[in-house]
Amino acid sequence: MRRWASQYWEILQSAIESLRANPLRSLLTSIGVMIGVAFVSLMGWALRSLDAAWESTLSSLGSDMLYVDKWNWAGGGNWRTVMNRKNITIDQAEEIARRLRSAEMVYLSADAWGRSIVHADQRASGVVIEGTMASFGMLPSTSLAEGRFFSEMEERNATSVAIIGDGIRSTLFGNRSPIGQVIRIEGRPFRIIGVMSKRGTLFTDFLDRMVYIPLPAFFALYGRYSRSITIAAKAYSPSELDILRDELTGVTRAVRQLAPNAENDFSINEAQVFRDQVANIRAVIWAVGIGLTALSFLVGVIGITNVMFVAVVERTKEIGIRRSVGAKRSSILVQFLAEAMMLCVAGAVVGVIACSLLVAVLALVLRESAEFLLPVLPAEIVVVAVVISIAVGIIAGFVPALRAARLDPVEALRYEA
Amino acid sequence: MSQHPLILLDGIVKHYRMGEEIVEALRGVDLAINANEYVAIMGPSGSGKSTLMNIIGCLDWPTRGRYILDGVDVSQLDDAELAAIRNRKIGFVFQTFNLLPRATALKNVELPLIYAGVPPQQRRQRAIAALESVGLGDRLRHKPPELSGGQRQRVAIARALVTEPSLILADEPTGNLDSKTGEEIMQLFERIWRQGNTVVLVTHEDDIARHARRIIRIRDGKIESDIVNPTPHVVEPLALER
Repeated sequence: MRRWASQYWEILQSAIESLRANPLRSLLTSIGVMIGVAFVSLMGWALRSLDAAWESTLSSLGSDMLYVDKWNWAGGGNWRTVMNRKNITIDQAEEIARRLRSAEMVYLSADAWGRSIVHADQRASGVVIEGTMASFGMLPSTSLAEGRFFSEMEERNATSVAIIGDGIRSTLFGNRSPIGQVIRIEGRPFRIIGVMSKRGTLFTDFLDRMVYIPLPAFFALYGRYSRSITIAAKAYSPSELDILRDELTGVTRAVRQLAPNAENDFSINEAQVFRDQVANIRAVIWAVGIGLTALSFLVGVIGITNVMFVAVVERTKEIGIRRSVGAKRSSILVQFLAEAMMLCVAGAVVGVIACSLLVAVLALVLRESAEFLLPVLPAEIVVVAVVISIAVGIIAGFVPALRAARLDPVEALRYEA
Repeated sequence: MSQHPLILLDGIVKHYRMGEEIVEALRGVDLAINANEYVAIMGPSGSGKSTLMNIIGCLDWPTRGRYILDGVDVSQLDDAELAAIRNRKIGFVFQTFNLLPRATALKNVELPLIYAGVPPQQRRQRAIAALESVGLGDRLRHKPPELSGGQRQRVAIARALVTEPSLILADEPTGNLDSKTGEEIMQLFERIWRQGNTVVLVTHEDDIARHARRIIRIRDGKIESDIVNPTPHVVEPLALER
């Protein structure tokens, strides 16, 4: 065993040496593998980051929450049909909330999209003004970075207080604390009493551009019937989501007075609706990633096979010498396989290092807009990449190595370059 | 020592296919060489002497006939077994030295020991000893391109000796050297032989062959003559200044 090990260690060393004898050629040859490994790594990294974004979407929207809305959040269904749905009025919404039995908690909200707010001479646009209830502030998924949410008293009195999203805070106030400052919404002053923690994700980036005000204050700004109301209902546990969904469907259909055979004229949204989106993105990343990876490994295999054939011819004499001093066919085979493998592993190492740098830089540069990007490559992806590259080396090196091993020692010794 | 000869060739025939033609390189060679003989195999080019050397050196198989080396019928062995025989029983010295150009003298001499599976520590010691025995103790780290022709051939001889083989097989060992250096190499062979080794030289030069104690002439694939050299050119064994 030790004999065996020492001989193969020797082979590995001589493989490294012969690569170092031709550094430029080795580098150029292994570019295919480098790129292949880069694609594998980046694909794994992108999928990982996507999963992380998905996880935080689940937790920011609440995995035990259902939202009855005129709109389908995932964009499913016929757009024109959805467009033509009647708004859910505040009266309907209150009736639905009153009738629900299987919800632990219900709150109503209404949104005004694409508004602008002003603080001093600063303006933030693309803001979502959401009128909501104090109970929203009590949800476990609602977390504040600073200050407090408004109380039931403030809600009932339509007090002009606001809680702003993390994105708006950084637009209007930079690093200063906004608590106690006044912003103007549709020209009317609101006092900031709280700042939400950062909660937007890849799928819900608008969450950080929201301003929460008491629902009655919202009605005062935009009118009672101008916007469709969203009914948010929390199940007692995620496992009871189905019961809640059935009840919500039934109650909403009743309140909206739908005929028994009519389609729902509302959507029941939940964090899970983003699952389809996640699955689609995953599929695209996979397809593109696997395609590019396969292509570059194919190019890598062809390049390495070609260079190994050249190396076998160049080193015919060396093969003859080694055979004359006692190398078996198998020793020669292993030697050339080891060289092809080392080429690939070297390419893989360069590829992984380059990707690690790229990923670290990307995560740093995009930390505002794409916070879900991981700053490091997942470890198992690196392992997979190296294993694949070893396999590629063996595949690419096998035929040339076999040719080397089968050289007739007499002819190999006679060979002159 | 042993009652049977070191090399026993019995009706060795070797055919080559050259395109459509079949070349009969050896047409029935019978030959016995005992341990610690100093033999020259001579013949013009095309006589079959290179083929004979390749078969004696276990680089090639005979088409017919038996070859017993040191009591083992090597004509029956497969590739891996032949490789092991080359490794342990035969030390080659070639006209063109056949060293690995990128490896140091030390690495070159270690090479057979690597394939023999000798552990690194011991391998180094034995390779250093072999290089010192040919007077190259101060050239361990030199690579072949940094050495003179004579020095390169001495590295090759050290490589041939390092496994302590039964047979040193030298193919035109002075063919690429000037006559003075060639003479030094022949002095080295004289010493190797006197130390108890079996030396077989393959050459077409009388100047070289005359050093041997027995001269075998090959012509047209057969042994033409096999005589004890009546007037061997005895040289002083190479004395090495340290």
